[in-house]
Amino acid sequence: MDDDLPTDFQVIVVGTGMVESIVAAACSRIGKNVLHLDSSDHYGGLWASYNFEGLQKFIKEINSDPNRQLQVYNLIEKWYIDKDSPQEETKQETEEEKTEPPKKIWSQADFASEYRKFNIDMTPKLLFSRGPLVELLISSNIARYAEFRCVTRVLTWLNDKLNPVPCSRADVFATEAVSIVEKRMLMKMLTSIVGYNEEEMDNEFKDWTDKSFKDYLTHKGLTPNLIHYVLYAIAGGSDAMPCLEGVRECKKFLMSLGRYGNTPFLWPMYGSGELPQGFCRLCAVFGGVYCLNRPIDSVETKTGDEGKEIVVIGSKSKNLNCDHLVIGINECPKDLLSSEPSESSDISKAIFITNGTIMPSEKEPLTLLRFPPLDEGDNPVTVLEVGPATGSCPKGLFAVYFITNKVKDAESDLMKYAEKIFDMTGDQTKAGDKPTCLWSLFYNVKDVSAGVRDGVETVHVCAGPDAGLDFDRAVIQSEQIFKKICPGEEFLPRAPDPEDIVFEDDVTHGPEFRGDEGDKE
Amino acid sequence: MHGRIKVRTSEEEKAKKEKERQEKLKFFKHAMQKIQSKRKEGEEDDEQLGIIEKVLLANPDIYTLWNIRRDILSNFKKIKSEEEMVKLYDSELTLTEYCLKVNPKSYCAWHQREWVLVNRSDPNWKKELDLCNTYLKIDERNFHTWDYRRFVVGQCKPPLQDEFDYTTEKLYDNFSNYSAWHYRSKMLVELYPDLEGGRPIQDSHHKHELKMVQSAAFTDPDDTSAWFYQRWLLGAVKEYLNNNIQLYINDECVNGEWESCTGYEYDDLWILKHSHKILTKSHIKVEYIMNNNGKQSIVCNEYQPLVYIGKSEISFQNQYSKPVVEELNDQLDSCRQLLALEPDNRWTLLTTTVFLHCIDPKLHHLEVIDNLQRLKKLDYQRAGYYNDLISMWSIEQQLQNDYNENIDKFHIRFGEKLTSLPHLQYYSFCQTVDLSNQELTSRILPTLIKLQHCKILDLSNNKLTSLDGFPALQLEQLILKGNEIKEEDIASFKEKHCVTKIII
Repeated sequence: MDDDLPTDFQVIVVGTGMVESIVAAACSRIGKNVLHLDSSDHYGGLWASYNFEGLQKFIKEINSDPNRQLQVYNLIEKWYIDKDSPQEETKQETEEEKTEPPKKIWSQADFASEYRKFNIDMTPKLLFSRGPLVELLISSNIARYAEFRCVTRVLTWLNDKLNPVPCSRADVFATEAVSIVEKRMLMKMLTSIVGYNEEEMDNEFKDWTDKSFKDYLTHKGLTPNLIHYVLYAIAGGSDAMPCLEGVRECKKFLMSLGRYGNTPFLWPMYGSGELPQGFCRLCAVFGGVYCLNRPIDSVETKTGDEGKEIVVIGSKSKNLNCDHLVIGINECPKDLLSSEPSESSDISKAIFITNGTIMPSEKEPLTLLRFPPLDEGDNPVTVLEVGPATGSCPKGLFAVYFITNKVKDAESDLMKYAEKIFDMTGDQTKAGDKPTCLWSLFYNVKDVSAGVRDGVETVHVCAGPDAGLDFDRAVIQSEQIFKKICPGEEFLPRAPDPEDIVFEDDVTHGPEFRGDEGDKE
Repeated sequence: MHGRIKVRTSEEEKAKKEKERQEKLKFFKHAMQKIQSKRKEGEEDDEQLGIIEKVLLANPDIYTLWNIRRDILSNFKKIKSEEEMVKLYDSELTLTEYCLKVNPKSYCAWHQREWVLVNRSDPNWKKELDLCNTYLKIDERNFHTWDYRRFVVGQCKPPLQDEFDYTTEKLYDNFSNYSAWHYRSKMLVELYPDLEGGRPIQDSHHKHELKMVQSAAFTDPDDTSAWFYQRWLLGAVKEYLNNNIQLYINDECVNGEWESCTGYEYDDLWILKHSHKILTKSHIKVEYIMNNNGKQSIVCNEYQPLVYIGKSEISFQNQYSKPVVEELNDQLDSCRQLLALEPDNRWTLLTTTVFLHCIDPKLHHLEVIDNLQRLKKLDYQRAGYYNDLISMWSIEQQLQNDYNENIDKFHIRFGEKLTSLPHLQYYSFCQTVDLSNQELTSRILPTLIKLQHCKILDLSNNKLTSLDGFPALQLEQLILKGNEIKEEDIASFKEKHCVTKIII
């Protein structure tokens, strides 16, 4: 079978992470001859979504061979529930309370039997409705390969409890959490931020470049509640956030309001892992060749005829040649990377499976919760709670993702936040106001960006997942790489709809359709 | 290679589009011709309905075609069975639904639907209400749909509370919605009418509505929909009379025709033409039916020989209950806090002013006038409106005093310059009216009709530029000094009106 694989390509992409997949699609779309490889048997790399069995396999792999996956470390999996459900007991309860069916008591065995109903994200991210990825999905027509759900609410942790954040005009109108005067102040602040234009020299914020966003909000007379909403929940910042960064983040949030729903965010159905696959699909439609389970052994550059630089990839005792190599950082041989110390900021992540939502609502919620730092030295924590309607987990469960910039390690960075909103005792019979945590996974991810060794112009290294809420960095980086490979070419022009596609060769046409509207005269 | 795709170039694409357009045009012309010729021949049949349907699906706004359809269906009704008609009506409903998908703001399609449902026996109103919900979900501000909803609700009469709750839901989605606020006001008046009269709705709900609308107004002051609703909430129901008035002289009912001097059905000045001789020391009484069907009786006193005047109570203060006044005071406080932060916000200033006026116009009069003067500068485009408010509220203050004194002269006793003449009916008995040194323009001349007994009218030093629209009054003296009226205007005025003396 290997012998079928051609050996010469214009572009070879190694790794099916977000950046690699976008570059592959963009090159293929404008007619480049693309080969796309991945060493593992699934798409997405660290951007993948797993069902529960796939996730177990991933955990086992990392724990058994920590050197295999260098970007993920400190991985700790925990169960809070029994292996098997105590069957007799539950039956008795059912008989006693026929009117109100009791909440299902989950066991580890139930997770295993329903494993296919899970789609757990390794890199959970939201899309800003007017962010670069949404625009790219629309302009390239790749949006038709994916489905999305609107985030239904934005919450924050204020006065030691969860609070909905009034972020749209309709929210501000409806909320009873702020006084009428505060409503006016909040709307005025938000309107002024929307009007902010960086190019305009004489803008409202010109004297605040070296001051914090919090100072600005305080100066404007916002009450502590309002400052909390704007700074922590809308801008997603901390006390030290510089003013202009805060304004930029708020503006991004506000500009995305009202496009699809009452919050600025979309969540990809069946997990973020669907998105790299959408780009791969477009790449394949335009002739890209795919080969999973195909690790590479070596990368060399040599000068071919006419002085052209060629990248030679050794894979399964076969040499593959290309003009440009695009490679994910975790697949890239060390000797190819620049020896300069690379920038690294690590991410602490956690995934929790719970038996209910953190704040009940009429319809199934899809929540973004932003925690301000609870202790000094902490970073703000982003929490995403997704339910069965997103295809992330079976009915009755919620998957909750925690993300923050690493301070110590994932567990000590995030456990105290989880304890605020979950019951960690594993007791599923208690009728408390917090949902019970059934299972958790803590892990750290290295976010390394490194350049290629000097003198190598035709190898392009793609960064892995970052801690950001949206996919901005991945989109920007892939466009930069594409521009280097194909200078002057359009980045992902709109793919044609099926009806506009003309089949060139031996397509046998059916009999011509004849309408009954002929001119009789 | 297999599966490589080729896309049409933009030239090919353009040619394809053009061809499609030409084909559409050909079909349209052909179909319209056919419809017209069949119409001429009087062929009202299923074929005609079919062709029209095809055209309407592409363009639902050709009202002529809908008219033809109704014509045909009306004729079918005479010859076809009930069962057949029900089928036809139902397919008509399907057609309008398709057309509304093409254009949800099609007047003709909505109208056609209404027509069908009025004619079809046993219509399914529930389905119609669901249709309204669907269309209002797509566009919550489509007034066509709201209009249609009122029609449907009028027919099937669902619980009003449900309709009221529906407006709440829609407003929480997007409060910038005139139709929803308006519909809400209609529901409130039905659900919680103010039985004592004078106010729009019951106190308990009044307070809640005031809170809700204030919240909207503070969230987005630039959205005028909430303002309008707030003004409605703060407004009073003004009593106008139609001609059910009775005059009794010495307990004898006087028959005759009451005429509004402006010619309206409801008015605040009525004149009775009668042939009775009025003597001194008569007992004269007027009775009239009020809007709430109560009977009001006023005894007239002889004020000058042969002139009898009767006065009922007047009050320009809106009567709010204690809880509502408390709410108004709370909201006034909020407004004042906000004004401290944004002193130049015209919206906050106007709302503050309206609250002050509503709570106690007499106590707050000076502040109210002062605010309006500031508003004229802040919001100069509406200076005329603020001027008229100043005129009205100033006159209301003066009227409280004038009304209880036996005056027969009306002259302005405040420093603000009048730009309009509200409440002039209360001075209709005055023989001398001094409106000099104001800022009246020719626009106000028609309102002078209320001065039915005026003999001497002083309009000197105003801003009159012509005398067009001057009403027919029996004046003895008209003073027009200090205006910019052209000579020829005065000459032609003299021809039309018999005023003994005009001072220019």
